[in-house]
Amino acid sequence: MTTEAAEPANAAADVLVTEAESAEPDRATSDVVSVEPDRATLTRRLPRLNLGLDRFSGLYVWTLIILVFGIWLPDTFLTSYNFQIIAGDQAITAMLALGLIIPLAAGVFDLSCAATLGFAVTVVTWLLKEGFNPVLAILITLACGAFIGFVNGLVVVRLNVDSFIGTLGMSSILAAGAYWVTNGEQIVNTFSKSFLDAGSTRLWGVSLPFYYMLLLAAILYVIVDHTPVGRYLYAAGGNPQAARLAGMRVGRVVWGSLITSATLAALTGVILAAKLGSASQDVGPPYLLQAFSAVFLGSTQIKAGRMNVLGTLVAIYLLATGVKGLQLGGSPSYVNSLFNGLALIIAVALAARTYRRK
Amino acid sequence: MVATPVLCVRRLSKTFPGQRALADVDLDVEPGEIRALVGQNGCGKSTLIKALAGFHEPDAGSEVTVAGKPLAFGDPTSADAAGLRFVHQDLGLVAALDAVDNLALGHGYETGRLGLIRWRRERARAREALQELGYEFEISRPVGGLAASERTAVAVARALSRHSTPPRVLVLDEPTANLPAAEADRLFALVRSVRDAGVAVIFVSHHLEEVFGLCDTVTVLRDGRLVTTRPTAGLTESDLVELMIGRRLAQYDVPPAETAHQGDVVLDVRGLATAVLGGLDLSVRAGEVVGFAGITGSGREELALALFGGRPRTGVVTIGDRTVPQLRPDLAVQYGMGLVPAERHANAAFLDADLQENVVVASPAAFARRGLLRRGRERSDVARWLERLNVRPSGTQRAMSTLSGGNQQKVVLARWLRRQPHVLVLDEPTQGVDVGAKAEIHALVDQAAADGAAVVVVSTDHDELARLCGRVLVLAGGRVVAELHHADLHADRITAAAVGHTLRSAS
Repeated sequence: MTTEAAEPANAAADVLVTEAESAEPDRATSDVVSVEPDRATLTRRLPRLNLGLDRFSGLYVWTLIILVFGIWLPDTFLTSYNFQIIAGDQAITAMLALGLIIPLAAGVFDLSCAATLGFAVTVVTWLLKEGFNPVLAILITLACGAFIGFVNGLVVVRLNVDSFIGTLGMSSILAAGAYWVTNGEQIVNTFSKSFLDAGSTRLWGVSLPFYYMLLLAAILYVIVDHTPVGRYLYAAGGNPQAARLAGMRVGRVVWGSLITSATLAALTGVILAAKLGSASQDVGPPYLLQAFSAVFLGSTQIKAGRMNVLGTLVAIYLLATGVKGLQLGGSPSYVNSLFNGLALIIAVALAARTYRRK
Repeated sequence: MVATPVLCVRRLSKTFPGQRALADVDLDVEPGEIRALVGQNGCGKSTLIKALAGFHEPDAGSEVTVAGKPLAFGDPTSADAAGLRFVHQDLGLVAALDAVDNLALGHGYETGRLGLIRWRRERARAREALQELGYEFEISRPVGGLAASERTAVAVARALSRHSTPPRVLVLDEPTANLPAAEADRLFALVRSVRDAGVAVIFVSHHLEEVFGLCDTVTVLRDGRLVTTRPTAGLTESDLVELMIGRRLAQYDVPPAETAHQGDVVLDVRGLATAVLGGLDLSVRAGEVVGFAGITGSGREELALALFGGRPRTGVVTIGDRTVPQLRPDLAVQYGMGLVPAERHANAAFLDADLQENVVVASPAAFARRGLLRRGRERSDVARWLERLNVRPSGTQRAMSTLSGGNQQKVVLARWLRRQPHVLVLDEPTQGVDVGAKAEIHALVDQAAADGAAVVVVSTDHDELARLCGRVLVLAGGRVVAELHHADLHADRITAAAVGHTLRSAS
């Protein structure tokens, strides 16, 4: 990009021009052009080389995990079937985590996201059982999600309740709601074939929710990284007071982020319902820790120090690959929780260390 | 004085990867001496202090002795045991705790039988320690609610009290950076009483008048090297500035040219009131720089945020022909106002974000097309602004936290100047900023005004007001008690008016 292109427009604010530059404008601008890119690339590139190990450590560890299990269990682990399973199994967790990035980037917790997911599963199932048109049922469920997010925002922004507490409370309310909808029983056999197909059909060996997740990830990536929305989110999360004094409506940003995460959680719930083919009131909560782990672990990757889409995906599949390998190697089932918990704590501790050194 | 030095530093060097922060610095400080340590940001002051405190391990060949005994490097405990005490700029106090608890953070509580805290004894000692420093206040109040100088006193009392060894050297790192002038005077009395107790004091400051008013000797660092150590007596301010920056300041020191014809009224304020401010009227024309002075509690602290709508207020604030409702900074920005607030870290800086984001935060979508950011264009625009404001080190992708205070402040200024604001409000624009950057910031403010902005500067630095403003309003008790114009615009007159002596112009 030419640095002098917009010069005339801003010439009025040209402040600290040295004698030499003002005397010989031509030479001065040509100096700027020739010197600027060198310096800019130098200062940019050097730290990036050093940081590479930290920012991409997840990718290296992921490769290592695949290598280790590939050598150990070539027949079961190193099969395309296995990777198709891993990809498909994690789609729901990944979608929930992707939605969670938004409020966490804006500096607020949404602890009710997993409960919203579970509630949405029960709502959409019940609506279909009552004979609603599937499209209408899905829209109503999404509207429920948006409303939950709206109430979260009301509590956090207007009533000034700490988001950790406010959404934890909402989470409990939604658990009650899910029980109320299902009456504590499992709802089965309510879905049309096309609805079920949307959740379980395989494309290139991987079930459809994986592709929904990729689509969502792509959309969120563009929104967070390539539109002003990401700026609002990170500014509000980075220093809300400074964001406010820079003319940003931080309350609205936070409110919007909570509506987004709850709506996306409801969307994830619809897909989970299609995948499961049934609903019970306790399907949501187990996803909570996994989704949070993924986002926090992801914030140490790719764009270190920030909740980000690509990092979150790396984190999810890194963890899932490790767990899958251990299971195939014959480890007991509790290893899942153990591995997830350890990986989160170690990863965040490492990130905190690199952060301090900076 | 024929005393032997209590602190001897020899050939102190510290090399960071790719950068020599300190090179062969020698320093001797005697007991009962107040030594100023000055230099621009990045001259090595902080590295020197951190090396003494044991946070940095100096290069091989460096030697430090305290009272004749060599200091073990890289170990904060041994620095403390040797009698080196530090009060850092942020004081390190817990705002929600009272003075007694904060003092105990340094040395623990004294407990009786059963391990219970002996509160009465603790309180008596805290009161006594503060009295020795000349302070008496309600020690059971959370320190967050104390005056700034009282908080400093708590931090100093903690540094001096009840360690295993007596204090020998007290290092005060920019203790006045966040202190209003009147409170700074109380702090100086405190520092003198510490000196009189036989402790050597090292006083780091950007305020040259403090160096001359308080310190016996001054050590100047530049680019990691010792420039000189000499008595403050016989030295002039401009001598010292020249030693610090290695060149004459004259090129910056010219007062702004009188603007021949001033523009229309851009900022119009009627009856602005807050908890302290009582009905302020103000008109500022395009190209005009209006200053506000006043002691703590005069309303000065509230003015900038109230104008901008960052805190509750009543009254009418108009920019051009548009009225800005209260508590709507977004509309103030939209209508062309910009605010460089006081306390940069809390109110303006996004420390973890890069410089580009710090600059564009006030206009996040300026370079967007069809909703998508065009980062390349934005980056070159920001790079040009950083270049123009001489931000060092430059580089749009650098984290804000890696910059010195002065350069951070320039980044915040770039945020607003880039928008070519109609009204620019600056609250303590050069707080904690080194001399060179300060002069540059002043030049930028001149330029903004010359470009047609109506500028309001709120400052406790009266030299700054005299340097920048065509008109200074002095606040006391929430009202304007004096208005000084060109001929009267001298720091001493502003100070005199602010502390309550109404000074009528002789002319």
